[in-house]
Amino acid sequence: MTTATATPRRTSGGSPVVVRRKTNWNRILYWVATHSLGVALGLMFTLPVIFVLLTAFMRSDQAMTASWWPREWHFENFVEVFDRAPMVTYLINSLTYSLLATLGILVSAIPAAYALAKLKWRGQTWAFMAVVAAMMLPPQVVIVPLFDMWVRMGLTGTLVPLIAPYFLFDAFSIFLLRQFFLTIPKDYLDAARIDGCSEWQVLTRVLVPMARPGIAAAAMFCFLFTWNDYFGPLLYTGEARDHWTLSLAIASFRGMHHVEWNLTMAATVLTMLPAIVLFVFAQKSFVKGITFTGVKG
Amino acid sequence: MTATLRPTGTDPSPAPATGLARVRSRRRWVVLGFMAPAIVGFLVFFGYPLVATVYFSFTKYDLINAPVWIGFGNYVRMFTTEPLVGTAAYNTLWLVIVLTVCRVVFALGVASVISRLRRGLGLIRTLCYLPALAPPAAATLVFVFVFNPEFGPVNRFLRAIGIDGGLWFNDPAMSKPSLTLLVLWGSGELMIIILAALLDVPQEQYESASLDGAGPARRFWHITLPSISPVLLFGVVNSMIFALQFFTQAVVAGAAAAGTADVAGNTKYIGNPQNSTLTYPVWLYVQGFRYSNMGYAAAMAVLLFIVSFAFTAILVRQLRRASHVEEAA
Amino acid sequence: MRKASMRVLLVSVALLVASCSGAAGGGGGTSGDIGAAPAKDADLTLTVYSKFADREYREVTATLETIRKKFPNIKINHQGNQDDDKLTQSIQAGNPPDVAISFYTDNLGNWCHNGAFQDLQPYIDRDRTDVNVIPQAVRDYTSYQGKRCAMPLLADIFGFYYNKDMFAAAGLPGPPKTTDDIIEYSRKLTRFAPDGSIEVAGFLPSMPFYGNLAEVWAPSFGAKYLNAEGKSGLAGSKQWQELFEFQKKLVDFYGKEKLERFKAGLGDEYSPDNAFHKGKIAMMFDGEFRTAFLADQAPSVNYGTAPAPMSPSNASMYGGGLVTGTIIAIPKGVKNPGASWELIKHMTLDTDAIVQLSNGIKNMPTTADSITSPNLQVNEQFRTFLDIYSSGKLVAKPSTAIGDAHLKAVNDFAEKWIAGTETDLRAGLKKVDDQINDALAQK
Repeated sequence: MTTATATPRRTSGGSPVVVRRKTNWNRILYWVATHSLGVALGLMFTLPVIFVLLTAFMRSDQAMTASWWPREWHFENFVEVFDRAPMVTYLINSLTYSLLATLGILVSAIPAAYALAKLKWRGQTWAFMAVVAAMMLPPQVVIVPLFDMWVRMGLTGTLVPLIAPYFLFDAFSIFLLRQFFLTIPKDYLDAARIDGCSEWQVLTRVLVPMARPGIAAAAMFCFLFTWNDYFGPLLYTGEARDHWTLSLAIASFRGMHHVEWNLTMAATVLTMLPAIVLFVFAQKSFVKGITFTGVKG
Repeated sequence: MTATLRPTGTDPSPAPATGLARVRSRRRWVVLGFMAPAIVGFLVFFGYPLVATVYFSFTKYDLINAPVWIGFGNYVRMFTTEPLVGTAAYNTLWLVIVLTVCRVVFALGVASVISRLRRGLGLIRTLCYLPALAPPAAATLVFVFVFNPEFGPVNRFLRAIGIDGGLWFNDPAMSKPSLTLLVLWGSGELMIIILAALLDVPQEQYESASLDGAGPARRFWHITLPSISPVLLFGVVNSMIFALQFFTQAVVAGAAAAGTADVAGNTKYIGNPQNSTLTYPVWLYVQGFRYSNMGYAAAMAVLLFIVSFAFTAILVRQLRRASHVEEAA
Repeated sequence: MRKASMRVLLVSVALLVASCSGAAGGGGGTSGDIGAAPAKDADLTLTVYSKFADREYREVTATLETIRKKFPNIKINHQGNQDDDKLTQSIQAGNPPDVAISFYTDNLGNWCHNGAFQDLQPYIDRDRTDVNVIPQAVRDYTSYQGKRCAMPLLADIFGFYYNKDMFAAAGLPGPPKTTDDIIEYSRKLTRFAPDGSIEVAGFLPSMPFYGNLAEVWAPSFGAKYLNAEGKSGLAGSKQWQELFEFQKKLVDFYGKEKLERFKAGLGDEYSPDNAFHKGKIAMMFDGEFRTAFLADQAPSVNYGTAPAPMSPSNASMYGGGLVTGTIIAIPKGVKNPGASWELIKHMTLDTDAIVQLSNGIKNMPTTADSITSPNLQVNEQFRTFLDIYSSGKLVAKPSTAIGDAHLKAVNDFAEKWIAGTETDLRAGLKKVDDQINDALAQK
């Protein structure tokens, strides 16, 4: 399945063979056009990020002013971020939240997505509908009763209210994984069933290995979402500084009347770094993962 | 149900039927086992809050004191005396329509340009994803700054080539389009999903179509689009949810355009300029948490849920049709 | 399946009911039982929430710790960066700080109304504390409908800033005294570029922008939000009409497109790019804290301060101005309200503590003794604000239970009014009234 499409993947989606054979000139023009467009897009997307980086090196009184090239380079801003806030604690909290949440969806969403995609049962459509409905409900709708519930459990001010839901029900992951699982041919699963595998074995020994790239993608979306989540940590750990996450800590460089933009941006860069590293490393399996969906069309 | 309770030995009916029943019953337990955490989670994190929200929507509730039952008062207020809920609903509807369409089309466009690259694909892909990795609040502030009408790089560049750039986030007519640009800038996630799908369309299909004399437009319409339609549908659902829940960016952009970064604890700049960036979830939050009208906020939530559910129903139907296509393929 | 979900539904409803009663109870703080003052050597830790950060946070913490002069064994756990939303959440969660500090007076009415802040009157009565050393207007904005549930932790006074060099160049002798002066001076101070765009503006009428907020301007016109019945009465108010006509005249002078463009190019209010720092505007309304920013970020600007100009019909109020400020209170549900009160009393009525804090964060001291204290560091520009404070003509924002909903409504109208999308002043203000009255009706 994957190997069959792996070969032609490098070639482009639309460049027709006919054009290629006509003239070399056309081909060069096409190459130049697409690549300059690509570079332009890359620049367009990167410029504001470069702006963040430049600001991170400025003195506080230059940051967010009309002059956007640092007059002096203050590399020590990054050190100051660590002096100013317990960044290591926040980093550990962020990692705890993101890693456990990711583990959570692996445990809870994979079986559910399997049942929704690959088993036939009554109420399946309704169950799927419920998943999509849950996803469509903005978080502001449910926070009041949920906050109340966690208060009564005495768990506000900890990371538990943030992590626990992922071990039970994360609509987005279930939905995404279901879409991936749908693309895996039924024949493989049936073959395993005929060999006497239980549904659990079909799931763990056949489906999970085959859908590993898709699962990697879902895991990464979950990691990145929780990594940048601001609303959740603000709500549940806002008063408990020891449990703050990095995304929340960035806001702490705001004073009563003044925002220290250079430090805010330095902290932003530091927060983005782990996510970028993760993306660069995960890119292959991640993109391959989604590729799977495309194959089936 | 009854079939499964009957002992097999005494069952006079033919054996195959019993086997089938047993398989069915076993499968029911398997399904239940697989779905159990999700069912519990759904009831606790979705069912219970929804029931509670419906209850609160019939009360006056300030978060500190016990809710007081007031019947349909909050709903009546929503449709009669409270003027801004309509503005907020309009803004969110605008975003749901425009943002959803633009985000999917744009991600598809960028992805198809990138898919034609021979060199530097990995690098460009990473660069395009970069904005999506930035914390939303910080990303928004920077973006608004880049689009500052006077000294922002965008208008400076436009001025250099003789174009008079607009007021962007400072103009009530342009603030929502500007927010849309902001969203497009951060749409790397969807772009990458679509890119992956594009790269996977079997090359032979294009080649044979070309030999049949199909032009680029027809190839795109008849080969590319059908192959990636499940992914596009995912993009539509994802974008719609994104638009319905549009919150942080709207609040931060409104304040930043007013020349301040301080948004906590006051509502002066919420919706700036002229309430053109006041989205439904933002107004719900302000009513509930800043003005302590949690009952009213709950009524707004209920209305939103009903509308979302209508969207959902339509989408699920589309999704089911698409998944049938998938299974048939 | 259906049965199961029904049962869960019932369980959730039961939980819900439990939650309601839970929310209703909790925390003492009714006027009947008040906390006793702690023993002199009491060994306890008081948690304080505020939104201060960085330099200001350190100054406030240092002042909070001077409570040890009175209670040597009390420890202070001061948590900065806690805004009003988080404060409400902590009270709702039944886990409030011992002492709450809020930057805004806007939410006080609400907290007073719903009991999130405790009534301080019993403590004041018990200790025979004299709160009359605090001016009437300041006492007004720290209470709601006669219920004192907060004390002022320093105050902010709004006055008028003007660039002396630019005034000299335009041949203007001194600061404007009336709002008509502002218009006239603006004509003299404004410079247009050859292409017609604004280079330097005398006074910027855009709203909301920097200190140009309805609540800051209102005292200059004697405009009031609520009428005698406690309802919003803007449409019938001559003062509000005057305010918006004043604004309109200035907007017409500049041209609204030019104004928008100019405004958009001005830097962040609290950054060194502030338009007044940069010499882009010659006059503005702002609080006394601006003197500290100017000293820090733009020491070369030659500026003067003066009381806010008044409208001709309100001329007798010249010398006064808007007062607002940070507030400090005991949240509902604290374990040791008696100790909380001692800290609040120390921070808001002890002359040394007030002077130390005022010198530290350059806000207005609040009591009669602290204003005249020889230890108070005062420069010429800051002196103006002390004079306004003691003028007896201070005006406070009304305490309402609707947060800043009324301020938002007025500022929203101002935006439309400037843009020209709303041209009928009376009809527009009527809509503002409806909006505010609708919000008031919820309480």
